[in-house]
Amino acid sequence: MEAAAGQAEEAGLASFLDKSQTQRYAGGFNPESWEQEFDKIPMFMKKSPAEIDPEQNPDLACLQSIIFDEDRSPEEQANTYKNEGNEYFKEKNYKKAVISYTEGLKKKCSDQDLNAVLYTNRAAAQFYLGNYRSALSDVIAARKLKPNLLKAIIRGALCHLELKNFPEAMAWCEEGLRIDSKEKKLVETRAKADKLKRAEQRDIRKAKLKEKKEQSQKEILLAAIKERNIKLFLEASKEEDEISDGLAEMSLNGLSSDSATGTKVYLDDNGNLNWPVLFLYPEYGQTDFISAFHEDSRFIDHILVMFAELPPWDSERKYHPSNLELYFEDEAREEMYQLNTENTLLQVLQHQRYFVKAGTPTFLVLVKHSPFSKNYFFGKKVHRLK
Amino acid sequence: MLRAGAHAQCTRSRDRTPRRRDARGGETLSPDGAGTGRRLQASCPSMDEVQARELLGFLHLDTRPDLKGQATGYILGLTGNVEGRTLLAGRPDFLEALLLLTGDRSLAVVKDSYHSLINLSVAVATHEVLAKELPVLLHRLLDPGYAFADQVCTLLSNLSREEGTCRQVFQAVQEEGLGLAWVVEAFCTEGYNKKAALHYLGPLLSNLTQLPETREFLLDRSRCVVQRLLPYTQYEASAIRRGGVIGTLRNCCFEYKYHEWLLGAEVDLLPFLLLPLAGPEEFPEAEMERLPVDLQYLPQDKQREKDPDIRKMLLEAVMLLTATKAGRQLVKEKGTYLVVRELHQWETEPDVQAACEKLIQVLIGDEPEPGMENLLEVKIPEDVEERLQHLDREEERQQGQQETQSKGPGAQMGSSGLSR
Repeated sequence: MEAAAGQAEEAGLASFLDKSQTQRYAGGFNPESWEQEFDKIPMFMKKSPAEIDPEQNPDLACLQSIIFDEDRSPEEQANTYKNEGNEYFKEKNYKKAVISYTEGLKKKCSDQDLNAVLYTNRAAAQFYLGNYRSALSDVIAARKLKPNLLKAIIRGALCHLELKNFPEAMAWCEEGLRIDSKEKKLVETRAKADKLKRAEQRDIRKAKLKEKKEQSQKEILLAAIKERNIKLFLEASKEEDEISDGLAEMSLNGLSSDSATGTKVYLDDNGNLNWPVLFLYPEYGQTDFISAFHEDSRFIDHILVMFAELPPWDSERKYHPSNLELYFEDEAREEMYQLNTENTLLQVLQHQRYFVKAGTPTFLVLVKHSPFSKNYFFGKKVHRLK
Repeated sequence: MLRAGAHAQCTRSRDRTPRRRDARGGETLSPDGAGTGRRLQASCPSMDEVQARELLGFLHLDTRPDLKGQATGYILGLTGNVEGRTLLAGRPDFLEALLLLTGDRSLAVVKDSYHSLINLSVAVATHEVLAKELPVLLHRLLDPGYAFADQVCTLLSNLSREEGTCRQVFQAVQEEGLGLAWVVEAFCTEGYNKKAALHYLGPLLSNLTQLPETREFLLDRSRCVVQRLLPYTQYEASAIRRGGVIGTLRNCCFEYKYHEWLLGAEVDLLPFLLLPLAGPEEFPEAEMERLPVDLQYLPQDKQREKDPDIRKMLLEAVMLLTATKAGRQLVKEKGTYLVVRELHQWETEPDVQAACEKLIQVLIGDEPEPGMENLLEVKIPEDVEERLQHLDREEERQQGQQETQSKGPGAQMGSSGLSR
């Protein structure tokens, strides 16, 4: 018997092998596109398609309807979605988990405990996606259904911690500890939130103190400027209380183009002002910048140092200290004033038509009797030294 | 209106037991002497048995309201002075009658009854009778809608002053099913009772922590209890509450086994003790960074704790934290010296100054010899103990005299219930 059966089997196999040599197996994969076809079989699918079309994927649609049978109660369906979400959650596929829990909630089932769990679990998934606000609103929804759901409270505390709402984080922890006074996560989170809150308060105090100090220094500086009768050029408004704004502006955009150092006028320990000063050489389009020009220094002292050697751009070799003339411009009246290089900076700044613009006194340097100078002043009113 | 309580005693480092908050006297009320002619011969506190029986006859729930009101008003008057208190404290029948009238329909009667009981509870002799009512009193204390919860709270705080009664109060707290956790909860919940501020929960907690078992609960590492009390060391609205919490913390500091935990990141007690002692002084950046964050960059209008007794308790608590080697190390590391140094310069009260100096000695002094490292466990020879106790009594006596001179009976406020 056995031998006969074996023979019959062998014969069947032989005929099958013969057949396979000549004709193709009807349900076989196509050698070119087997990978795509493979993916369409539910068991081997790497990803489930977002939309299941029963025409294209009859097997999957079948399975789908077994799991999410529309005939089943909303509670059962919601529960299935919860389990599906939990599976995704375990795989750390939080986006998918959120979708599953959302589907579960859409069933609007009457089991409020289940809904609370769906909200809490969705909150956890959102939390891991970094969507702390969404997580928080889910947790709040969960607690509306079940106020004492400890997992929701813990999640809420963690959300507040991430959102830097430290007092709220602590309050949530304390609420949770009323339910379970020894819940470790809550004790730890409260301590963490407390520590961060106190550090934040320190930072706020520090910033306030700094601001206050800067403000008072600014006021002292302004008073020193005012006391010397130095006038600040204010673009926007000339009202008295706008002066501090003017100064703020002065410190902000004072020296942006020429100096990256952000230098500004300051009072030194002896109560003297030191100004950043800009010299312009219009003939060559050059400039020199002195970051701290002591108010009692004379212009000639700086000129002597600056032009001890001729600058490289002075192709005609004429910028000798003794050849140079200094001017400032009265912008409002479009007039030029020549200044005495023997004068100190303070003396010049106190000139009745001198206005400090953008926090940086600026002066023009020209070569005496040069053709450029004549050209430059052509048609302008120039107040020359007598 | 309640007279501010008597003040905490000084604690020497050799003390091995925590003190209750107030060592002398209790929260007493006294009537204002003048302008209350409606009272029944309140000026004469002596009473014979016949008069007493007659008065007791009025102290029933079904007495005519006006007579009952006069009777309780008269009793309150009696409890305002020592003779009257001594007289009534020995009469359980009066105490029971007053307890009964705390359930009266007339609010004035209830108030007078409570205030009389508060005054009488200063005498330990009354405790046996009053302790029988503990379950009812505790229930009322923690009832968020009870209008006289503040009075109950003061009464319980007076009762818990004495160790024996304190134990009974604690037992009742535990047996009422809600436990100490609920007392802490009520304490930490702003607006727990809309009709009562419950500031006296502070002194109550402080008194309760004279018991090791309450300290164990507050210091349970697996819970979050003592941590929640910490912000109240800067509670501005009430010195009673603030002092109570600081007394509680000081009592907890006797548990040196918890010092490292208390000083560590989980509780971080030290800044909460130092912050009320810190003023607006600015420190150089490097020194500032050594301070705990809570003490850094304090505003220029920062004020120190106003009550010298509370300042002293704070210093004593810090002192206790330096009892062990590890604790000392941690306290020293956190810039305590800077804060205490500045306080010392500012301080004008001699005994607080002395407390500063004691602490500074520990902070800048050398480490003690082997065997003396834990100051709370050092054995003190009997003769030294006796001498120190004598000095303590002497100091108390002097302080007591100063107290009478500075405050005197004139500072006692009348009870508003009486003038009605």
